[in-house]
Amino acid sequence: MTATIAWKNIWRNHKRSLVVITAVTLGIISGVLLIGILEGWSKQRLQDAIYNEVSHIQIHQADFMNNEEINLTVRQPDNLIRVIDSLPGVTGWVKRTRIVSMISTPWAASGANLYGINPEAEKLVSHINQKIVPRGGRYLDAGSPSDMLISDKTAEILKLKQFIIADSTLDKLRMAKVPESLLAKLEPLKEKRFRSPVDFRNALRKAFSKKELDRYGAILMDQALDYRLRNKVQVTFSDREGNPVQGIFRVCGIYKTTNTSFDQSTLFVNADALAALYGASETLTHEIAILLNDTKDAGATAEKLIPVSTGNSVMTWKELAPDAAMMSDYMLVYYFIFIGIIMLALAFGIINTMLMAILERTKELGMLMAIGMNHRKVFSMIMLETLYLTLAGAVTGMVTGWMLAALLGRTGIHFTSWGEGFEAIGFAAKVYPVVTPAFLLITTLMVIVTAVIASIWPARKALKLNPVEALRTE
Amino acid sequence: MKVLELKNVNKIYNSSEVKVNAVNEVSLAFEEAEFAAIVGPSGSGKTTLLNLIGGLDTPTSGEIIIAGTDLSQLKPSQLIDFRLKNIGFVFQSYNLIPVLTARENVEFIMTLQQWPEKERNERTEELLKAVGLGDRMNSRPSKLSGGQQQRVAVARALASRPKFVLADEPTANLDSKSAATLLEIMEKLNREQKITFIFSTHDPRVVKMARRVITLEDGRVISDELR
Ligand SMILES: Nc1ncnc2c1ncn2[C@@H]1O[C@H](COP(=O)(O)OP(=O)(O)OP(=O)(O)O)[C@@H](O)[C@H]1O
Ligand SMILES: [Mg+2]
Repeated sequence: MTATIAWKNIWRNHKRSLVVITAVTLGIISGVLLIGILEGWSKQRLQDAIYNEVSHIQIHQADFMNNEEINLTVRQPDNLIRVIDSLPGVTGWVKRTRIVSMISTPWAASGANLYGINPEAEKLVSHINQKIVPRGGRYLDAGSPSDMLISDKTAEILKLKQFIIADSTLDKLRMAKVPESLLAKLEPLKEKRFRSPVDFRNALRKAFSKKELDRYGAILMDQALDYRLRNKVQVTFSDREGNPVQGIFRVCGIYKTTNTSFDQSTLFVNADALAALYGASETLTHEIAILLNDTKDAGATAEKLIPVSTGNSVMTWKELAPDAAMMSDYMLVYYFIFIGIIMLALAFGIINTMLMAILERTKELGMLMAIGMNHRKVFSMIMLETLYLTLAGAVTGMVTGWMLAALLGRTGIHFTSWGEGFEAIGFAAKVYPVVTPAFLLITTLMVIVTAVIASIWPARKALKLNPVEALRTE
Repeated sequence: MKVLELKNVNKIYNSSEVKVNAVNEVSLAFEEAEFAAIVGPSGSGKTTLLNLIGGLDTPTSGEIIIAGTDLSQLKPSQLIDFRLKNIGFVFQSYNLIPVLTARENVEFIMTLQQWPEKERNERTEELLKAVGLGDRMNSRPSKLSGGQQQRVAVARALASRPKFVLADEPTANLDSKSAATLLEIMEKLNREQKITFIFSTHDPRVVKMARRVITLEDGRVISDELR
């Protein structure tokens, strides 16, 4: 009956209760969305790190990661592969050659890790073949030894990413419903070659108003983009004797992951073609990458590989992509921090409301204590009132937040423009919020704890009432 | 059988500059099934005395013994339970829990004592019928007249079969007709259920219905007549 009274008491002052419930609802919605975005980001980063970059486990020669020398190849690779093949839960593995090199075009140069891979085998372990950008050519072909796959970022650095307005570009823009008045303004820019996004952007900025650019800038950039595919690039590295070796490749395709720093430092060529350059009878293996069916098994599987990896080092994705690992490890801490801050702020409102409710009901509380409602029951009545009030808001907030997150999780949230509409083109960072049951559970627990703590002060105030005096008050 | 005994009870308020002897050397005894009125001018100590008897307030000196228990021997938490089991209260106003219906208000006392549901229901209905509210059991207090609310309060006071019922000016906020009805109901319940009623009042018509009249003046009992 105490519970019924408590629930009914909340609705004695509709307005005041609704204000608190709304505040809690809004607080929880923002918490759910914020955490949902963080969680989505973390999940995405984890996926990308594992499937595009580092796989679950990598094995190198023990010194290789400190000192990436061409001679530091994996010890006894065939033996290792036999063991890996016998392990359960392995989706696939690949052997890679990995050499630090200089890459240059007539216009620019840069340093990067040059990977020699077997294009077909690589597909078992990495999704890089699915990351070819639109109009960015194709993935490596084992039958085409001059092929090199570079990233969009590398293309930009090497000035292989250019912007040209051709007649075909105008046609495409027309199809995309860009107004004719705008297209007319593009005429003077026609057939001019812009070697960097910055140059092209500056030219557009002169020709168009800010409003027009906000609206159409991204599509203009997109349609005018023209990678210089089949362009020759030169790589330079040291062979096993320390002598410089040079090789010429042609850009066959452009890929792009969500991690620019990975993109910038990673080039792919056919392993055999690379071997021909450093002049070995067989391809060198600097790296073995293993993909598992389940990310959770990475640690256990690595443990099994360590005993058979003398002279090598076995690393899991947690060591190889510490940023992704930290993010997912700390999600639980973020839950507590964010929800904690929100609940702390709300607690003051809740306490204030309950104190007001107690003050208004002084006489009634005096009567209840006089007729024999004991302290424990009075206390639990007030605690339940606080709990109901807070939970009503929290449940509404969690349901709404969860639905919003689910909706946004389908469409994704675009974080493109921090400044001008298209300024950050190429940074099409899309986040898909994720709300986990664990988060909702922790939120519920924290809401309950907050309500219980917030009820202590008002409840104590009620218990301090002296029935005789309370009944005497007018 | 004595249900209540007061021996040399004093209550002295020392609050501000003045010292008030609100209850002064009062010794009284009440038997089962009494119907007693406490009268006296304003400030004579009626409310103070009833609060002492009801265990809501503690005397400065003297003993209050209810059904063999000396109230001063009870810890505050025990006192609350003691009140719940042994004493029924009817106040001048704010008697009822506004969010509960008449029925629930009466039931509340029994719920606090964890009576089984069936007994609770039977007793609630019996009592509400006895106070003439058999047809208003599911109304909230705000939908009842002042007199009806006081009748619900009387029903509630009797719910847990207390040793006696204390009522401090139960009719003060009622018109004379409602007051008379309330008193008639109290008197009937007192006769039928043999429960002692002790009530304070200013109203001469109410006083007339009492079978015992105790008169206070400046905290002293100046007369105590049986009729
Ligand atoms: N808490 C208190 N502090 C100080 N004095 C008090 C307190 N309560 C009551 N008194 C005094 O005690 C005396 C008795 O008061 P009490 O309320 O018992 O009188 P009463 O007979 O009920 O009066 P009324 O008919 O007006 O209700 C009064 O002089 C009053 O001022
Ligand atoms: Mg009084």
